[in-house]
Amino acid sequence: MYNVWENALAEIEQKISAGNFSTWFQDTSLLSAEDGHVVIGVKNSFFIKQLQSKFLDVIKAALINNGVEVKDINFEIQAKVKSKVRPREVVAPTQIGQKLPSIKHLKGTKNFTSGLNSKYTLDNFVVGSNNDLAVAAAKSIINKPGTSYNPFFLYGGSGLGKTHLVQAIGNEILKNHPDYKVLYTPISDFYADFVDSVMKGKGKEFSNKFRSLDVLIIDDFQLIVNKEKSQEEFFNIFNNLHQSNKQIIVTSDRLPSEIKTVDERMANRLTWAGAFDLQLPKFEDKCAILRSKANLTGAEIEDEAIEYIAENVNTNIRDLESELSTILLMSDVRGLTPLELINNGSINVVHEPKLRPTTPKRIVDKVAKSFNLTTSELKSKSRVAHIKNARQVAMYLLSEELHLSTPKIALEVGVKDHSTVIHGIRKIKNDLKLNFTLRDQIAEIKGKIYD
Amino acid sequence: MEIEVLAEKLSKALNNVSRIATSKVSLPVLNNVLIKVKEKQVSLITTNLDMAIIDFLPVSSSKDGVITVPAKLLAEFISTLPKEAKTKISTKDNKVSIKADKYSSVINGTPADDFPELPEIDEKKAVIFKMSTEEFKKGMEQVIIASSNDFNRPALTGVHFYTNNKILYTVATDGYRVAKKKLIKNVQSEIKVTIPAGTIQEVLRSINDEMEEIEISFNEDLVRFRLGEIEIVSKLIDAEYPNIDNFIPKDQDIELEADREELLRITKLASLFARHGANDVITCETKTPKTFSIHSIANEFGENDSTIETKVGKDGKISITSKYLLDALNVMEGEEIIIGFSESVDKVTNMAVPMILKNKGSDDYIHILMPVSV
Repeated sequence: MYNVWENALAEIEQKISAGNFSTWFQDTSLLSAEDGHVVIGVKNSFFIKQLQSKFLDVIKAALINNGVEVKDINFEIQAKVKSKVRPREVVAPTQIGQKLPSIKHLKGTKNFTSGLNSKYTLDNFVVGSNNDLAVAAAKSIINKPGTSYNPFFLYGGSGLGKTHLVQAIGNEILKNHPDYKVLYTPISDFYADFVDSVMKGKGKEFSNKFRSLDVLIIDDFQLIVNKEKSQEEFFNIFNNLHQSNKQIIVTSDRLPSEIKTVDERMANRLTWAGAFDLQLPKFEDKCAILRSKANLTGAEIEDEAIEYIAENVNTNIRDLESELSTILLMSDVRGLTPLELINNGSINVVHEPKLRPTTPKRIVDKVAKSFNLTTSELKSKSRVAHIKNARQVAMYLLSEELHLSTPKIALEVGVKDHSTVIHGIRKIKNDLKLNFTLRDQIAEIKGKIYD
Repeated sequence: MEIEVLAEKLSKALNNVSRIATSKVSLPVLNNVLIKVKEKQVSLITTNLDMAIIDFLPVSSSKDGVITVPAKLLAEFISTLPKEAKTKISTKDNKVSIKADKYSSVINGTPADDFPELPEIDEKKAVIFKMSTEEFKKGMEQVIIASSNDFNRPALTGVHFYTNNKILYTVATDGYRVAKKKLIKNVQSEIKVTIPAGTIQEVLRSINDEMEEIEISFNEDLVRFRLGEIEIVSKLIDAEYPNIDNFIPKDQDIELEADREELLRITKLASLFARHGANDVITCETKTPKTFSIHSIANEFGENDSTIETKVGKDGKISITSKYLLDALNVMEGEEIIIGFSESVDKVTNMAVPMILKNKGSDDYIHILMPVSV
């Protein structure tokens, strides 16, 4: 029944304007269609009236085309009202795979540590439009390691779930093939190991250990060091494994071609089978992630609270999770629900990426503006307390936000001596501890700097 | 289409209807007001698909026709005109020209085809109540404050109307407080419906002093308010409303009377210190024979303790949310308020017994506040 209505809707959509369709048909459903008595569920009586008077023929035609007998069409208001005030629908987390039984399945590789953390599973990886491609690839790797996506190159900003996903792949492969040798290692450990074994004269052993692997997972590839010997070793192992159709998985925060220390040969090879990226989750995905994390901890949190966090954290999933756990902890301690905490202002979540880099000039301008001064007034030699104060705030921000050296800061704010700058910064830092107004003002300026 | 009317009258009508014209991206025509002239009757209509406001505008002369015009734009234009300017609105194709004295403008209208048809009350099946607008307004203002804005529990976002023993009651709750009011005594029909709080708010906004009587008609899924030249039609909330009478406490072993102004004052004082603490909690305490006090602490600012002298029969303590108590006291009308509470736990529900507020000498309105555990 449901599908028939979906099809009918698809047909109706073609016939009427998009605005009309999305307004009038959005929350409709086919409730029954027995003996030609069709009943369609709608949101409220306004919809009944409109559908009856303007769209009856369209609906009828669409239903008949989809093989439904239509004698009469009635409308009914559905109890399941989707309230229109809630801004967006929150998609339930899609989950795939099954729960990993504990670590037991690692038998057969007893004296071999995989480096995997069994808490990372596909089960608790929330799939959304930001990562579904990568997950689809991951699933195909789990089914047939070493065939389709080899090497599997995964990239994306920090905190978006790269490590989680590749560890989950490792865990799932181990579950399906307990006899496989799977190794997860951050590239830095790889080097440490390599250097270590070379020093101990066990270089051969090292390369054998890697060459006997079935699945090699390298994390944080962007940290690869520019040491010819080490890169060459990695390159050799890579080639060796790849030729014998062993699965290689590499993560990085950017594409290999953008990593300066990687030579072109290596970069090409890494993306042979394509590069998959994890993106910043969309609002709905963020809600789903939060919901799933909250469910995991068994804590109660209102949808509005989740939406609030999702809306205000725009950096990465790690921040999202840390905000959630802070709020849950606070709600536990204070005995308020998360939403109440947010509403009474106890919690103020804002994580915005610092997308646009700022400039010294911009900082000085914004500070001046915030203190109702002109930039030249701020840069003047005036010792009026108000202006001096503004100047010191500018010094502080230049140092905090841009990490400029003190002589450079002195130049930017028009003072002669870098020790004046040191003094100014120290003064503001001290004032910040006590002066709430100043704290707010600086926070506000910061907001404007990156706006 | 053509109408001629005083700017002042038209402006008033437009202000009434244009509030709910929403900027819904998917259906831009909902931004517009529908101006309909049929056999000398002029109606201005807007809708947001949950409700519709119709204003029947008396005009000096008119010609039949329909058009829709951006509501807010038209309302602002007309309201800027001098009050007594004779305004003429006429359409040519989809151009709407407005002329008043030396001011004139042309607004691009849209044909009325896309404007939704409005559901109508089936008069035959309708349950109709009439009452004075003043009573209605007072009752609604007393009740609506307790309604919730949590759309996860749709029923609570409305104001519930129900009949019991020939009395029409209206009630609202957000789960932390309940406000219940006897609206009309001795009614013949029976109903049990929930009207969205937003609709009630629009009705309240539309009420002006000239309107004496309000007529409320209910269908199964629709309600219509008629007041003066305005008609408001709205959906009802289709969700089970909790049985409020379960919340109303029966055993209250502590009871006291207090002057409302005085109560309001000490609650405000206490709330100053409760604002920053967890949950705005204030603690009300009775001490025999003659003390009722409210106490609050804000760790960073200090604390407050204010007292009223009144006869009390038993020592007791209850903690409640200051804002809720303030809300309640602000809408209550009696000079003396009766407060009842209890330290015991309800035997059936095993919950703390809530505080109950009434106007002295009248059972028409009760307000219930759930205690907070501290």
